Amino acid sequence: MQSNTPSDDAGADAPTLSALDRRLGTVETGFNLVAALAIFVLMLIGVWQVLGRTLFNAPVRGYIDFVELSISTFAFLGIAYCQRLGGHVRMEMVLKPMRGRLLWSTEIFGTVVALAVIAVLIWYGWGHFLRAYQLGDSTIDAELPVWPSKLAVPVAFALLWLRLLVQLAGYVRLALDPRRRPVAVTTVLTPEELAAHEIEESLGAAERGRRR
Amino acid sequence: MSEFTIGILGVVALVTMVFLGVRVFIAAAAVGLVGMVAMIGWSAGAGMVGTIPHSKSVSYTLSVLPMFILIGFLAFHAGLTEKLFDAATKWIGWLPGGLAVATVMAATGFAAVSGASTATAAVFSRVAVPDMLKAGYDKRLAAGVVAAGGTLATLIPPSAILVIYAIIVEESVGMLLVAGFLPGIVSALVYCGLIVVMAKLNPKLGRPIRGYTWTQRWKSVPGTVPIIAVVLIIFSAMYFGWATPTEAGALGAFVVFALALLHGMRWHGLRESLLESAKLTVMIFSIIWGVLIFVRFLGYAGLPEAFAKWVVSLDVPPIVIMICILLFYVVLGMFMDAIGMLLLTLPVVYPAVIALGYDPIWFGIVVVKMAEICLITPPIGLNCFVVNGVRPDIPLTTVFRGIMPFFIADVITVGLFLAFPQIILWVPQLMRAG
Repeated sequence: MQSNTPSDDAGADAPTLSALDRRLGTVETGFNLVAALAIFVLMLIGVWQVLGRTLFNAPVRGYIDFVELSISTFAFLGIAYCQRLGGHVRMEMVLKPMRGRLLWSTEIFGTVVALAVIAVLIWYGWGHFLRAYQLGDSTIDAELPVWPSKLAVPVAFALLWLRLLVQLAGYVRLALDPRRRPVAVTTVLTPEELAAHEIEESLGAAERGRRR
Repeated sequence: MSEFTIGILGVVALVTMVFLGVRVFIAAAAVGLVGMVAMIGWSAGAGMVGTIPHSKSVSYTLSVLPMFILIGFLAFHAGLTEKLFDAATKWIGWLPGGLAVATVMAATGFAAVSGASTATAAVFSRVAVPDMLKAGYDKRLAAGVVAAGGTLATLIPPSAILVIYAIIVEESVGMLLVAGFLPGIVSALVYCGLIVVMAKLNPKLGRPIRGYTWTQRWKSVPGTVPIIAVVLIIFSAMYFGWATPTEAGALGAFVVFALALLHGMRWHGLRESLLESAKLTVMIFSIIWGVLIFVRFLGYAGLPEAFAKWVVSLDVPPIVIMICILLFYVVLGMFMDAIGMLLLTLPVVYPAVIALGYDPIWFGIVVVKMAEICLITPPIGLNCFVVNGVRPDIPLTTVFRGIMPFFIADVITVGLFLAFPQIILWVPQLMRAG
């Protein structure tokens, strides 16, 4: 919740990059929507489980297995969406006073580190999935297959990797010429902007939700 | 290079990267990965690290997080704040500074459906500040009380941060949640006491609001029933164990969801709440597995034990060390989100605290309270910016001046927790005994 993507009208400055940014953004929102629906379903099944067990002595079969497997959706699928919106926690104290080339170079450093780490995690996460798939692993109680849940990790990380690549391009573009307008990157927000963001999330959402 | 040296280098690298603005989950995972590879080789190290995101996330205990987060986002659509504030005003408005006291009590109630401090401050700036100003209350008091009232949300369950603490230090989630209620209420009462004393000494700050009949009072009660229902569901499920935290969270979310529908939430509002919940959930999970990669590395390097041993060997009373640790959190919290701060530091700090003989539950509550204080202290004090953002007519300096007494109240509260650990430990001990 520390930063966000600057306004879209900067698109005119770097048409290819902002088109890529938008296209990737659509996929990311789709992934996050799947995660969001999984959370909603988890709520409904939880209610069903409690009522079924306490009132009718009929718990949902394999409830815990189902919950554990569904975690993969909301634990991973939204990761690129969150990265685009600058939602992952970081410390901005040192970045704040930085300007121009120094700032963008520091951002490039962080993005390159992320690209490297996520690449390794995709590779070994894929191996983790492949083993489960080939061995036909299943959960203990309901005997649900485990591989789809493990597949979510490399898939979500691959999307994150693409997002990081777009951000890297955005930062490199700015480092080459700091006078350009930021496109497809996250920027450091002032406490005022951050507060505006928080207010929008709590008050704005509620009011718009009622109006439509 | 010895493993211990690699461990120290890893910590230095992590701190450097975090300062340079690398996302915390990436910095932690990067150091953990490189460190493991340095110690046990590429294929064993990277292979082990590569399985951590999935294996550590897919655990039933963690599934409570999205439920608690969802309750919080849905609560904004349920119109609970107005009803709580109305009921609190009618019942306790007659006290000196009555509307401010009512704001604290309503925020305490709202905390039972919200775990987000800044968001709570935002809604109360909208609901309570206009009434206080209309009644001629001092601007500083009005602004300060909503900024401070927001901080109550994280101690009183549903609280994501308490769940995260429990998971990282491997304590019972239910126990920590149950433990959060009483300290949350004590914090609120200290705020209330402070307001009453201040308004008594200087009646100009805020006059009592009188003249409500008993009929009016009782009529305001039904509006607060859903909150009481959610509190009862979560507290009793944890205390008596009739449902797991995830199940209780699901039930609580469903109650608030139904209420939001009744209050007029439509598809767009639901979609927004769900998307925001998913975003916050993935943020928390990312940082959990990222930090757990780092923790695996630290464990291999033997750093936490070494640090704990060193701390215990120091020739100073434990209480002095504890106060130093708490001050360290105050400073760190000024620059960093509470969740990131706790996750990054607990792997090293926690074993030392336990070695000093402090109770894990007690420390969890105190540390979360510290993280909250950071939300109202300069230079960031996000809650103050939020109040100023909702009410631009109240200058930021006024908000910061208004928050001062509440900051002192919080220091008193932490002092109470230090002097009387029973405030925190009493209910969990009852639960253990039962």
